[in-house]
Amino acid sequence: MYGTIFDIKQFAVFDGPGIRTTVFLKGCPLRCEWCHNPEGLSFSPQLMVSKAACTHCGRCKAICPSPSGCIVCGKCVRACPLGLRRITGKHVEAADLAAKLLKDRTYLEKQGGGVTFSGGEPTAQGEFLLETLRLLRPIHRAIETSGYCAPDLFREILSELDYVIMDIKHTDDALHRRYTGVSNQKILRNLEQLKKSGKPFRIRIPVIPGVNDSEENFRETAKLLTDTEHLDTVELLPYHQTAGAKYEMVDMDYKPSFQTDRLPNLNTAIFAEYNVPCRAI
Amino acid sequence: MTEYIETLLKRFIADKDQKKYRISFTDDGTLAAAWKGENLNDLQRAVRRLQFMLENEVPHVYPDEKIALIRTVPQIPEIFTEQEREEIRKAHYIHEQGKVCNINPEYIRLIAPGFDQKRLEIRAELQKDCTPEKKEYLEALLTVLDLIQAFAARYREAAEKAGNETVAKTFARIPAKAPETYLEALQFLRLLHYCLWCSFNYHNTLGRFDQYMYPYYRADIESGRLDRGSALELTEEFFISCNKDSDLYTGMQQGDNGQSMVLGGLNPDGSESYNDLSDLCLQASLELRLIDPKINLRVNRNTPLSLYEKGTHLTQKGLGFPQYANDDIVIPALKRWGYEEADAYNYVVAACWEFIIPGRGADIPNINTMSYVRTITETLDLLPSCETFESYLELVHGSILRQTEELVSLAKNVYMEPAPLMSLMMEGCIQSGKDVSQGCRYNNYGFHGAGLSTAVDSLAAIRKYVFEEKTISAEKMVSMCRTNFAGCEEIQNMLRYEAPKFGNDDDSVDELAKQLLDWAADALEGKTNDRGGIYRAGTGSAMYYVWDSRDRIATPDGRREGEELACNYSPSLFIRCEGPVSIIKSFTKPDLVRVSNGGPLTIELTDTMFRNEESIRKVAMFVKSFFDMGGHQMQINAVNREKMLDAKKHPENYKNLIVRVWGWSGYFVELDECYQDHIIKRMELSV
Repeated sequence: MYGTIFDIKQFAVFDGPGIRTTVFLKGCPLRCEWCHNPEGLSFSPQLMVSKAACTHCGRCKAICPSPSGCIVCGKCVRACPLGLRRITGKHVEAADLAAKLLKDRTYLEKQGGGVTFSGGEPTAQGEFLLETLRLLRPIHRAIETSGYCAPDLFREILSELDYVIMDIKHTDDALHRRYTGVSNQKILRNLEQLKKSGKPFRIRIPVIPGVNDSEENFRETAKLLTDTEHLDTVELLPYHQTAGAKYEMVDMDYKPSFQTDRLPNLNTAIFAEYNVPCRAI
Repeated sequence: MTEYIETLLKRFIADKDQKKYRISFTDDGTLAAAWKGENLNDLQRAVRRLQFMLENEVPHVYPDEKIALIRTVPQIPEIFTEQEREEIRKAHYIHEQGKVCNINPEYIRLIAPGFDQKRLEIRAELQKDCTPEKKEYLEALLTVLDLIQAFAARYREAAEKAGNETVAKTFARIPAKAPETYLEALQFLRLLHYCLWCSFNYHNTLGRFDQYMYPYYRADIESGRLDRGSALELTEEFFISCNKDSDLYTGMQQGDNGQSMVLGGLNPDGSESYNDLSDLCLQASLELRLIDPKINLRVNRNTPLSLYEKGTHLTQKGLGFPQYANDDIVIPALKRWGYEEADAYNYVVAACWEFIIPGRGADIPNINTMSYVRTITETLDLLPSCETFESYLELVHGSILRQTEELVSLAKNVYMEPAPLMSLMMEGCIQSGKDVSQGCRYNNYGFHGAGLSTAVDSLAAIRKYVFEEKTISAEKMVSMCRTNFAGCEEIQNMLRYEAPKFGNDDDSVDELAKQLLDWAADALEGKTNDRGGIYRAGTGSAMYYVWDSRDRIATPDGRREGEELACNYSPSLFIRCEGPVSIIKSFTKPDLVRVSNGGPLTIELTDTMFRNEESIRKVAMFVKSFFDMGGHQMQINAVNREKMLDAKKHPENYKNLIVRVWGWSGYFVELDECYQDHIIKRMELSV
């Protein structure tokens, strides 16, 4: 079965235990205002252009067969003398992807690591993800997920995983909808499944100034995680102003409604109150 | 860091206060002309030069410092007139500037006995039946000791005048007598190092400081004269002293001064030599964040992850070191080349990364370079006549053989100016009465290997597109390279970004690299130079990554005409590699024991990878994995591309931004633009 990925990143050090290779699956049902991987939003391959260094030589325009709208033919990619263009997103067969990843199995095992699936939202290509995970059973397998997934599918995916990194972006459903475009109900249900699964996991909060960095939201999140046996830690990931860097490359606008220049609250003390291990990174 | 060290850093590094004591002197050739007029030979002139330098130095001692000496004479005179130099050049091969450089003297040969004892040894030799030449030489050595001792005495007076009892007391003892404390030993080392620079020797490496200084350190710790904190402070003061005059040191670029230091390493019995002092040196470097001395760590398969973690904390500081060398590869390599077992275990690095032997090696490990790019550019025209890829590969092999013959025939009848002070710290010079400029126990020559990735990628492209897929004809490939891909930009783009590359863990490509390196090693096998030494093949590039690219036509890997090559043993600059894991898998496939002249895999990691203890440990694991897989040498840098781009625009804001260039670290804003740009391009490869 085929899936769409937009990157394979070796030597990932923040995506689970040990040294890992992270596969980015393309496409996401959420639209978080702070998303820094805009090329992971659409499920289809897209043209990506580094516009800053462009000299406007016109070669890409001259060769384009469809000036009215990009058909992702890739002709302009080779035409660019500076190599500023590429197609992000590639259809791959699960077996081929798994074979490629298995090539580094010995290396990754020696480094106490494995493979992590990220995105986009990896569960959004659930069947492809499951097939790849099954083929990778000899390797330590992890996921980075928003948790936004049909609960049955989520349970099935969990059963193929050794480690889970899941976001809790907001505990308040209305605010969750406002800033991510979806309700957090499925996410919170999946969190309960995750807690019961016996799989070691890590919770991440992308801390966005004025959005989810209130004491109340931290407190509500901490409450959800009190007395959770297999929780490694909660990680607070501060919003970074460079989040918007890639939007222009995929011809999108970056228009966050929150205050991007305010430093987010990274106070871990509230989590400590609830005996929930937490650190800011 | 103590308040005292902060004071020194402000004085010597930030304010550069010592510079105000510099006198004006420009070498206009008068001295050389006068020495010629007196009919002095080269040895006599070398001694006169040191005499001129030390006698004209104006001692200045700060009241609070413990380790003194600053340079006040800004330039060192040449000993030959322009005309004489021309004549020497006609008759000899002149390496770089014709001075003894880039070796590692054993300072301890003078420090341990002190000058008085050393004089006895020289005088005893004089008592023997000496040729007139030997007698003259030994007397010159005695003069050198006298000159340095007189200079030290003037420093003692200056210290007394400045009310600095510590320095006065130290110079009351050394260099005549053997040092009794760590402080005296450090001041002794500083004095010798200082006088080497004044002798116009350069790339004066510091070697295994943690080994030869250890007895002094330990004695002070055991006697209670020093505790760890005060020993650290002294070590830091010595490190700072390496930066006081470094702008006056000879090098290709500011920062390329060869003050490398090597820590740890296996003993011949298999035990580890890394000790408390090694640890102190790492800590000193970590706290000071100065470009000198440049730290090298010797590792092996049993080196614990914790040492790599310490090294990685230092890498995080962005200094471009430590550089790592793998004993499991380097020691067998040196033994294979005929180095004695004890010497192989005692190896250090020269100015950058070439492996040399303290006190016994007069090797010239950077005498020239094999140009792998040339193996392609000079055979390319014959590509259309090749029926198979293998027959083309044979032409490349022929080029390697041809270049080897050229390199070997060039490096004949080397002349270097006599270096009596250096010779006092090299084995056998007193006994033989021969200066180290004429050789020592080891007189091997090493060749770098520049542009390997460009050649490998070109071969891989030729094999795939010309011979296998037949999508580009041989004639087309040649004409595209000859015309710098004019009108064929799309094909060039494909060759650059889609063709197979060295560094992607692709066996068929990596085998080509192994083949080229094997051929380079084979070609040198059994050849000897006219100093009785052998030749060593390497994987370093030094400045050839810029020099050797300038006049080279475009290459089949899509590289543009004149476009720079990768630095040292690294993937080509513009390629998008699959990642660092693939890179180290590829780069550990060749038989590195055969090409271990020196030349590291260079990896750049963004500074965000060093964000916390956990990620630092993983970076350390990554470094370790390269050596566990058989890598020979690695240089790893924490970089921030945005910072460098900004530093080009606003150099005034980045005076302390340190970067690794090819085998040394320097201040980014002090580099020529072509080197700045190369580093920024390298960064684009970083993960």
